Amino acid sequence: MIGMEYAWLIPVLSFVAFPLILLLGKFFPGKGSSISIGAMGAGFILFLFVMADLLSNGEDFFSYKWFDVGGVELTWGFIIDPLSVSILGLVTFVALMVQIYSVSYMKDDPRFNWYFGIQAFFAGSMLTLVLADNFLLLYIAWELVGLCSYLLIGFWYERKPAVEAAKKAFITTRLADVALLVGILLLFKQVGSFSMSETFEQAELLMAGANSALSSGTTLIAALLIFVGAMGKSAQVPFHVWLPDAMEGPTPVSALIHAATMVAAGIYLVARTFVIFEAAPDSLLIVAIVGLLTTLMAASMALVMTDLKQILAYSTISHLGLMMLSLGSFGYTAAIFHLMTHGFSKALLFLAAGSVMHGIGRTDIRQMGGLIKVMPLTALAFGIGAVSLGGIPIFAGFWSKDEILLSVLDHRHPIFMILVLVAVFLSALYMARAFFVAFMGELSDENREGHEAPALMAIPMILLSILAVTFGLLALEWTDSFHGIGSFIFVHEGHGFEFNLILGLGSAILAASAFIIAWLIYVKGSVPISPFKRTFAPIISMAERKYYLDSMYQGFIDRVVLVFSALVAKFDRVFVNDVAVNGVAESVKRSAFTLRHHVTGLMYNYAFVMVVGAIALAAAWWAVAVKG
Amino acid sequence: MLTLMHFQIVSAALFSVGLYGVLARRSAVLILMSIELMLNAVNLNLIAIASFTDPERFTGFIIAIFVITVGAAEVGLALAIVLRMFRNRGTVNIDEIELMKW
Repeated sequence: MIGMEYAWLIPVLSFVAFPLILLLGKFFPGKGSSISIGAMGAGFILFLFVMADLLSNGEDFFSYKWFDVGGVELTWGFIIDPLSVSILGLVTFVALMVQIYSVSYMKDDPRFNWYFGIQAFFAGSMLTLVLADNFLLLYIAWELVGLCSYLLIGFWYERKPAVEAAKKAFITTRLADVALLVGILLLFKQVGSFSMSETFEQAELLMAGANSALSSGTTLIAALLIFVGAMGKSAQVPFHVWLPDAMEGPTPVSALIHAATMVAAGIYLVARTFVIFEAAPDSLLIVAIVGLLTTLMAASMALVMTDLKQILAYSTISHLGLMMLSLGSFGYTAAIFHLMTHGFSKALLFLAAGSVMHGIGRTDIRQMGGLIKVMPLTALAFGIGAVSLGGIPIFAGFWSKDEILLSVLDHRHPIFMILVLVAVFLSALYMARAFFVAFMGELSDENREGHEAPALMAIPMILLSILAVTFGLLALEWTDSFHGIGSFIFVHEGHGFEFNLILGLGSAILAASAFIIAWLIYVKGSVPISPFKRTFAPIISMAERKYYLDSMYQGFIDRVVLVFSALVAKFDRVFVNDVAVNGVAESVKRSAFTLRHHVTGLMYNYAFVMVVGAIALAAAWWAVAVKG
Repeated sequence: MLTLMHFQIVSAALFSVGLYGVLARRSAVLILMSIELMLNAVNLNLIAIASFTDPERFTGFIIAIFVITVGAAEVGLALAIVLRMFRNRGTVNIDEIELMKW
């Protein structure tokens, strides 16, 4: 029986696939894509075994010695617990779907096998990150994830915007990563080990008020630094700017980044280190505030964007904010549950958007309309994703969103509740707008030649659609041994399914009314939109300009960073290069030019010097040995 | 009475003549000859000291024979070089041979 001790194989398979695809890919069917898909498929099957083992035998962790340095033992190791295994399932499944979809989507690309190689490497890095049982391994995987997303966002590096977007993503997340590293080292300094279980033990001691290696001040700072790292990867305000630009990559890559890898890493990190946050409760309030701010800002921006992929990108940011808010409101289960339901729905939405681009070659929703007539399957898939994220009951997103609302209601100030309900309404509204504008209404002539997705692209969409519809039902109590998702993923003690009827009904009505309003505005046209636009003109114009954040950053880079770099460059050129390096060389050269005149080439000059030398030596010998 | 000093004076004079020749002459052949003079001065010195101090052992004589052998070989080689030089440049005047100059 294959059990959880084989879990390490899941990332290793993908890592092995990476060089194999690049070196030998052309000898395999599908130009190397089969290797990557095979590795991912095997990973998914292994996940099923690990899950079965986890359910029957409970959680466990494995640790192997790597090397000793300065009295500290570094280890390789992996954790098998409900959190890591759930994310494992999300990553392997979504990555598998995306890779199958990509075979068809990328089939004419000249760098086909490079694409699949990096895909495999990306998935492997993310899986390592999820399984890692110590902060060092986690940090290594964390950086690898950043690197792979850089490579994939800049995959079409012949295009300038793709290069810029890749750089932006890498630099932004890298800035946040520095904070994460400092946070990890702070914890290491006090605990004396990178091991997560030891660190969490100390944090729990601190929480219980017992004698702990961790001081409460350090814990707070470390928690905040770890959160800054998570903010970078999970695109929280003000680090969110890289995510919308990352749309320059191939669409399946966006599906992967937005659903399973990269952005999920930040949420996972906060969930994984949740005990540390709990030990410093003030940090959770900051997490909640940042999450709330992110979800509101991103939702308003999603509402005014006109590019289909941009809308989805801001929707991702908004939902990530919701997850952070949930974590910040002690809604650990809700956040992870929402991460998964959102992952399936958002992957589905991106694959559908990719299918639209593949079919009609456009991304601006104003140039679409009526696409349901030429690509009904894609429209259906997009619609399912939209209602799931919009929070319509039965669909996956509703259940997880409801859990989040419940934890916010229980643990935070009512003002949080009001604002989060606004965000919920907006999130349903922009999903409805994207769907109605793009797929309903009049079909324009130039889109009449659009075609439905080929089978390889359709199958992943169908499978993801099924999950986007049904996955949320895991929240409910089904059998005597399964009391809903809350009894499986939890931080201290499990809890069964909780449902606040008023809240659930309220949020459902809110979401439904958003869909109805969008339908009235964009399909029926019976409600004019201009009064809204006039009323909210300042907010709309700010949202359209991305709240000036991008321009502020650009201004900061232009006026401060570049000026400072120019100064440093000048110093380097004038002082280091001209004086210190070239100056020394120049002086040696000058003296050599002067001194070389003693080399006359005339034999008797040399002979004369020899004679003088011999006489001098003799005189010295005489003076010292004979006279002295 | 002939003492060691007399031999040494002759030897020193011979060496100085050779040294002057090496420094003052311009012809490579003459310089070679001057070097031979210096070698002979050294030989004279060696044999004289050997006979006056320890005639039973032949140390000094043997070294002198070595010097003569090596000197012969060296002259053979040096003359060959001078010959090639003359073939190539049409002169053995060392003022004109300054290829090693800066």
